[in-house]
Amino acid sequence: MKKGTWELKDIIMMAVLGVVFAAVYMAVFGGGLLISAALTPMGLSPFGFELVYGVWFMASTLAAYIIRKPGVALIAEVLASAIELLMGNSGGLTVVLTGVIQGLGAELVFAAFRYKKWNFVSLSLAGMLSAVFIFCYELYYLNYYLLAPGMLAAQLLVRLVSAVLFSGAICKLAGDGLAKTGVVKSYAVGAAVDTGKIYDEED
Amino acid sequence: MRAVNPVCKFIGLLTTTFVLAGCHDPVLNLSAFCLSIILILFSHVKIKSLLLMLSPVLLFAVGMFFTGFCFSAEGSMPVSEKTMIFASSAFWNGMTQASRVLAYAGIGYLFALTTDQIFLVRSFQKQLRLPQIFAYGLLAAWGILPHMMQEYKRTKAAFLARGIRTFPVSPALLGPLLVKSVRWSEELAIAMESKGFSGNETRTDFHPVRVQWYDWLFLGICLSLSLMAIVFL
Repeated sequence: MKKGTWELKDIIMMAVLGVVFAAVYMAVFGGGLLISAALTPMGLSPFGFELVYGVWFMASTLAAYIIRKPGVALIAEVLASAIELLMGNSGGLTVVLTGVIQGLGAELVFAAFRYKKWNFVSLSLAGMLSAVFIFCYELYYLNYYLLAPGMLAAQLLVRLVSAVLFSGAICKLAGDGLAKTGVVKSYAVGAAVDTGKIYDEED
Repeated sequence: MRAVNPVCKFIGLLTTTFVLAGCHDPVLNLSAFCLSIILILFSHVKIKSLLLMLSPVLLFAVGMFFTGFCFSAEGSMPVSEKTMIFASSAFWNGMTQASRVLAYAGIGYLFALTTDQIFLVRSFQKQLRLPQIFAYGLLAAWGILPHMMQEYKRTKAAFLARGIRTFPVSPALLGPLLVKSVRWSEELAIAMESKGFSGNETRTDFHPVRVQWYDWLFLGICLSLSLMAIVFL
């Protein structure tokens, strides 16, 4: 396996992770809607989504954690958002654009680590930079600059915590869990893990 | 709307959405929303599924209204006399936030409900020069989706048979799904390669995706409407 070049299996892996997470996004969107509906009378309804916002960064961080090649974080997030568009979402067409922005945030962090550090810290930082990037974009796109600054700061804070929880902690756990099952043996994350003979080729 | 080339539709509607984000006019937002709904209704979409999709958006719009109402920034006071007809700046702000949600969702659904997914990917490949490897990778992954749904239901049923109740996105359900999906993705890649797919070969199309005169017309209408909104507001 040459380092840095993409194979077909990498791309299919990203697209399939995109499909899984696009389905999760849809489910989480429903959940976020319920929380935000409960918060509506206080005028705090956006917090419903801020709490689960980190879920939207998971596709890029998990794909990058598994495949560990330059560009994976960006492309995986774009593919996930493209699939979200195919499924039909209520966020509108710009979902692909948000995918680019979020993916870029994560990609920059991994690039800063020269694609060598793959731990909880780098994954969390990737999620957090995605969160900051997408927040700047939403200031314009969702007209958030019309809201009070204190409210915005609180929103950003909740979003950062959510990013660390989902794209840092849960992605790390999921990636390590996958490595232990042996299904990702041909990818960078699974190569180092000794799994014995769990994966039955017959199945 | 179904016949319009997906890339033209995508670019046209994306531009419109962005222009709407720039001008904070509840009336403009609401008219964009109504126009999208009318266009959706004209393209033979089931009314029941439309209502089902719209109801959460309406809920969220109400939520955003109260957010805009309660937490408006100092700078959001209406400046021109035109907007002064509204009772207060907080109300105006709330209306802007709420109508914005509706307008984006309306345009998003107009695209999603009237576009064939495979047609869209193929159009991206043809008109926007999306590399083959991505186009077919996307289509292959898209094809797995029904299997994933099936697997999800199966895992849920398996837990239920053992008397364990699971909530919709619990790790117990997603874990096996993730493992299965990764395994499928690898098998799919091997299968594609063994059939000779490399992503570099030139290929012919059974059903070529072209840009027709009405695609240009649609794009022209969208762009000129956006331009008018920029000039007059």
